[in-house]
Amino acid sequence: MANTLTKPQLLGRGLLSQNPIFKLALSMCPAVGMSTTVMTGLMLGCAVLFVQVFSSLTIALFKRQIHPRIRIPTYTLVIATWVTVIDLVLAAVFPAAYAQMGIFIKLIVAFAIITMRLETFACKESVPDSFVDAVGMGFGFMFGMVVIGFVRELLGSGTILGYDVLGFKPFMFFILPCAGFFVVGLMMAFFNWIEQKYRERMANKS
Amino acid sequence: MKSSLRNLAIILGAAAALIALVAAVLFWPASNDGFILDTGFSGDTKITLTTTSPVEKSLLVPQNFTAFEENDPDIQMHPVKVKQKLSGGKNVLSLTFDAPLNRANPHIVKTVPLTSDSPALSLRVEQSYLGHLLFILISALLINNYVFTKYLGLCVFFGTSKRKKTATGMGIVFTIVMLASAIMSWFAYRYVLIPFHLDFLQVVVFIGLVSLSVQAVDTILRKVNPVLFKSFGVFLVLVIANCIIIAVPLYMASNQYNLLETVMLALGAAGGFLLALYLMSSVRERLDLAPIPESFKGLPIAFITAGQFALAFLGFSGLQLI
Amino acid sequence: MNRAALKDIISIVVRLTVTCLLAGAVMGATFVLTHEAKERNEQARDERVLYAILGYGDNRPQNMALHTVYRYVLAREDASSIGYVVPVGDGAQSVVMEVDLDGHFVQHFELLADSARLRNDGERDRAVIAALNAGMHAQGESTIQARYADKFIIATQNGRRNAYILDGKYPGFKTFIRVKMALDEKFSLMGFEVLEHEEDPGLGAEITQPWFRNQFAGKSYEQIKKLQVTRSPVPDPWMDVLSGKITGSEAQTIRQQHADDDIYALTGATISSRSVLQGNQAMIRKFVTRMEILDRVLKEQHIETLF
Repeated sequence: MANTLTKPQLLGRGLLSQNPIFKLALSMCPAVGMSTTVMTGLMLGCAVLFVQVFSSLTIALFKRQIHPRIRIPTYTLVIATWVTVIDLVLAAVFPAAYAQMGIFIKLIVAFAIITMRLETFACKESVPDSFVDAVGMGFGFMFGMVVIGFVRELLGSGTILGYDVLGFKPFMFFILPCAGFFVVGLMMAFFNWIEQKYRERMANKS
Repeated sequence: MKSSLRNLAIILGAAAALIALVAAVLFWPASNDGFILDTGFSGDTKITLTTTSPVEKSLLVPQNFTAFEENDPDIQMHPVKVKQKLSGGKNVLSLTFDAPLNRANPHIVKTVPLTSDSPALSLRVEQSYLGHLLFILISALLINNYVFTKYLGLCVFFGTSKRKKTATGMGIVFTIVMLASAIMSWFAYRYVLIPFHLDFLQVVVFIGLVSLSVQAVDTILRKVNPVLFKSFGVFLVLVIANCIIIAVPLYMASNQYNLLETVMLALGAAGGFLLALYLMSSVRERLDLAPIPESFKGLPIAFITAGQFALAFLGFSGLQLI
Repeated sequence: MNRAALKDIISIVVRLTVTCLLAGAVMGATFVLTHEAKERNEQARDERVLYAILGYGDNRPQNMALHTVYRYVLAREDASSIGYVVPVGDGAQSVVMEVDLDGHFVQHFELLADSARLRNDGERDRAVIAALNAGMHAQGESTIQARYADKFIIATQNGRRNAYILDGKYPGFKTFIRVKMALDEKFSLMGFEVLEHEEDPGLGAEITQPWFRNQFAGKSYEQIKKLQVTRSPVPDPWMDVLSGKITGSEAQTIRQQHADDDIYALTGATISSRSVLQGNQAMIRKFVTRMEILDRVLKEQHIETLF
């Protein structure tokens, strides 16, 4: 087992230091296209969490049975299966939420983050470690989506989770589809700036 | 490298031209032989009929003309106004209706005999099929550009738009795989998924076909043109991580497109991706030289640039060709 | 080919096959498990929307009944016609009324199927085709084809007709907009709900906003035919009424002042607004034409219906 990190470290890695949206810059499509409100971000986050956890578990369980030559097709098949499952379940149980997310649920199959975790982690590590890693990554993605959704919903329509908190709409612009690019760009710059300041302070101390 | 790129571009261009030509020959609206030269919509509420010779004035009354949508033959409409005009040696009858016509549906116009020797006519009025196909192409290319208005394929988009050379390479490889997989997906959807009621397997089947076409292009390119493979091979793995490649078949399935429409959609989507990559890489090459605040360097400024492109592309919406 | 390579290939094929079978089993099982729940939920949602546009919340009226009329396009060898499947008697029977394209009655066929069987698309199609062909053979004529077109619902309260509910789909700005709409017995628009659309969030997607949809409510058939979309801003008091901020008698007076107003377009989404208006207009116009024909034919033939 190559993994030397403890479970809390694994969990924290997905949430912060290797956040799939802000740090790894993977799965940017939903971050821009599906983040107009906190709710849509949260729902898509749940779906991705489900697919990530179940795919990682499947691969970790059967890693000895997977022939190295057909590794990638097998991953694709596994992910596609779980995406179909969540697609069918959501359509049946939460039709309203499903209608809002539209095509993006099916597109989880092409999200780079999931394949990447299978290739770099689940196919080498133990089942519990893979599970924790998948949960961390899934929550990291959900966290990113919710943060972007929070900013856009608050500034765009003055509401949070549909509840009116500001009483007015500060900038209609933020709810427009293309504002997603600006919000993600500005937030990335913001995180870079914090990291830079932090590093400067560390350097000054030493 | 440069010459192989140009060769590929020429091949692609020739293929597109050929498809357009075949489409034109097959679907050019056949002129109704004899008295009626042409039919068509004009504006929201008008149908025009072009005839070889003028029609007697006494026949130009609304009761002599009946129109209905092909799917709704029981909803018959009479025009409120019938006018005749001679323009450029042609005689044009224009029928004005009191409600806007749904131009997406073909309409049938029935008339009484308009000349002494012609029978009562039943004419099909529809938008020209070539125009319809062209609209799908332009729509996927500009109006609904997958990158700037649907926000798909962004990971690969930001990953490969740093240099113009990589951008065009990626775009061309993507176009080839997109076309191949869209055509295969159409056959699979039309002849397997629908007849056997396996609609819910869409995702698995489409992604499987994408991997298959990536593998096929990989093998063929490796054997046929190793030089080309050396420069483009790296992009092949990236194709499968691009949401657009799976979004196009899904869109095709939900709109029940036929093969030709699917080809146009795939060409438009891939062409739109190529266009977006090219535009973005041109900007990013310049951005390298610009004084940018430290924390904005790299991806953040790329996102903001993309946002500006998206705003500009918003201007295409509402563009109407026909 | 050497043995090792052959073994490798066989191993790959076997593994891939097993994976595919397993994946298929998982997906198939999920499909079977969720399919019924999906249909049940869809039906429940459909009913909820239906009562909502009729103006009822959770407490639904007791003595209300819904009767569905299905419309088929019939094709004989030489001409096409329209067949309306209308429930008669105590709901255990239906008749297919065949009407030609000019709205004249042709003939009617008996259909022995209760409303539950008719609700299933496949069974209804079979029942209709069987009934038609049995009728045609009895007269010694050739066969007739039937293709399902659409349906509408007639709501009755204490046996009196009080609303029509129709479904429709028309082109929006981006793709299609699917709606459900209620008309009262005089064909005034009671309200409509957007079920599905793909308009831009923040722009065209605002067609789902109650204030926009409420502008249509209460317009008579004559008014609807002439409605236009206007780009001028919504007057403030009218906006307050439409979004439900003012209610009661004050709202009534403001409503009366604006009764003849055109439809105020959504800011930045005039095309979406116009698509909705024109789509609704065409839907209502077609429905009213058909309903008037059907009513006349039923009356002429002295057929007792449930509505």
